[in-house]
Amino acid sequence: MTDELNSLDPYVRELVGEARRPVVVDPSARHRLMEAIRLEPAPRRRSRVLDWLLEPRHSSLSPVASMALAAGLVGIGILGGLAIHRDGRLSTEQAPPVGVGNPHLPDSGTARAIRFVLIAPQAARVSVVGDFNDWDPSANPMSAQREPGSSGVWSVYVPLQPGLHTYSFVVDGTHFVPDPAAPIAPDDGYGHRSSVVIVRGSSL
Amino acid sequence: MSDAADVQRVLNGDVDAFARLVDRYYERCARFAVRMLGNRDDAEDALQAAFLRAYRSLGKYQERDKFSAWLYRILVNQCRSMAARRNQRERVFVREEAVLLNAPDRRPNWTGEDEEFVQRVLAELDPLLREAFLLKYVEEMSYEEMSTLTGVGVSALKMRVKRACDRLRSRWERIKDD
Amino acid sequence: MSALSLRRVAWSASLVALPVVVGAQDSVVPNRGIDPLSRLNESTRYSIELLFDSAKVAGLPTWPLESKALEGITKRADGRRIVAAVRLVFRSLREARSALGPGATNDELTAAAGALSVGITTDELARLVKSRHEKQLTYPLVVLSDLITRGVPRDTASQTIFQLWQRGASDDDFQGLWRGVERDIVSGTDPGVALLNRAREIPSRGPPTAPPASGARPERSENPNP
Repeated sequence: MTDELNSLDPYVRELVGEARRPVVVDPSARHRLMEAIRLEPAPRRRSRVLDWLLEPRHSSLSPVASMALAAGLVGIGILGGLAIHRDGRLSTEQAPPVGVGNPHLPDSGTARAIRFVLIAPQAARVSVVGDFNDWDPSANPMSAQREPGSSGVWSVYVPLQPGLHTYSFVVDGTHFVPDPAAPIAPDDGYGHRSSVVIVRGSSL
Repeated sequence: MSDAADVQRVLNGDVDAFARLVDRYYERCARFAVRMLGNRDDAEDALQAAFLRAYRSLGKYQERDKFSAWLYRILVNQCRSMAARRNQRERVFVREEAVLLNAPDRRPNWTGEDEEFVQRVLAELDPLLREAFLLKYVEEMSYEEMSTLTGVGVSALKMRVKRACDRLRSRWERIKDD
Repeated sequence: MSALSLRRVAWSASLVALPVVVGAQDSVVPNRGIDPLSRLNESTRYSIELLFDSAKVAGLPTWPLESKALEGITKRADGRRIVAAVRLVFRSLREARSALGPGATNDELTAAAGALSVGITTDELARLVKSRHEKQLTYPLVVLSDLITRGVPRDTASQTIFQLWQRGASDDDFQGLWRGVERDIVSGTDPGVALLNRAREIPSRGPPTAPPASGARPERSENPNP
């Protein structure tokens, strides 16, 4: 680094020296920061769900739920999805009971894997965008089923926190398509229609 | 006590571990924010917002990333949005300030702590140039780190740093003869 | 059998999982992660930041505004439109807050803002809040907004949903109601008629303002930002 500095114009070098001096910081600002932090809910780990997606684990799925999954039945949160606990355990029945009317969802780190499905046989690529991924089309691309007799069925699992989410499908990068099987969201302000999913905090 | 270990502790519920992380980085971040934004009030707001956001999104931090780089990404972002809010407000005043700066009796005073002078000089730089200059020479980051942090390519960053230095130098040329 | 089918699902899911591993905001698209709002031009950005400030001052969540801006970027809307959309979100949330009161959760605010945008009045919202019995308004409001959008006359929808709510209908009830009505509308039934028919199928869950079995009202306060 000193070599790089030496190659600088002497005036600029002086300026850098001055700029590197520490800045006097008001100690109360830091104190206020920590106070604000202590009022925040504890942050949650996000990446455990992705482990699940890559490595099948032993699950405690009920036979009905696992058959539903195998049959590719659509569950856009209505089935409650699967509960993924912080330690990677999967379960449906064992999720901690949460009254749906309770505004204080406990910090159990329970994201639910919600499967989004769109039937679009003519599409070249489809992704789901929404408030959970900053509406980024590259975040959750969907894949078309490869099994015979079910081509054109695009799907993806997305971990969602319990609560209300707004989303849409993007077909071939340009067409914004609401989910035909979900409640319609109010006008998006951009000339398209979106969909709503409410993810439950409790199991089926 | 490594940063990654402290992050794990925070995710396990230990808020004091976050206080330790703040202790480790606050002054450095404060220096960047003040140099970047030019005044303490805005810098404090940006710092507050940055650390809060870091805390909230700690779950997204991946251990393979350097914590300081991850934190700085958030800080740079916050400084940019703070600046965006300010710009229109300040547009009226820049012209007057430029008159002040070019006043003939204004001399750089290196013997004292003429921090105000440093700030004024830096403030004359275009924000993106200033940002690159500060990250390179004050934060002493490598171009690779800066690239990951800003999402801008290395050669573009080198160009920005060079232009910043050229501007600063030509400014010196202009006033030194006064 | 369940392990096998799970493995199959996980396998096909893993084909999409690789980009997902990198995460919604990471380096798949580098600029996206650092500062997605930087794609806005300066004056748009400035206006939006002002709206964030206004929201903060009003004690409203800012992430719905940010999300609306990001949505506009993805949908390639021009700056003016994005600002208008974000401003609308802010105003709707503010109106929703004044109708629902300080105890409303962020989801309820969002759902209420949506209902306001399809013509439900703040009085109607306040009426729902009054006969609350410890339940969240999110579900009924989402269903209400959807049905109006699908063609159920506004008054019919509002009145029906309110009555069900008052009679103690649960989230499951509202969900079932929505599915039934949607199915009927798709098969050609008049939307208003469909709603009235399906609503009759939902039994009354108890007298209108019955106190909750558990006794004390839980403290209501705002959900923290996700």
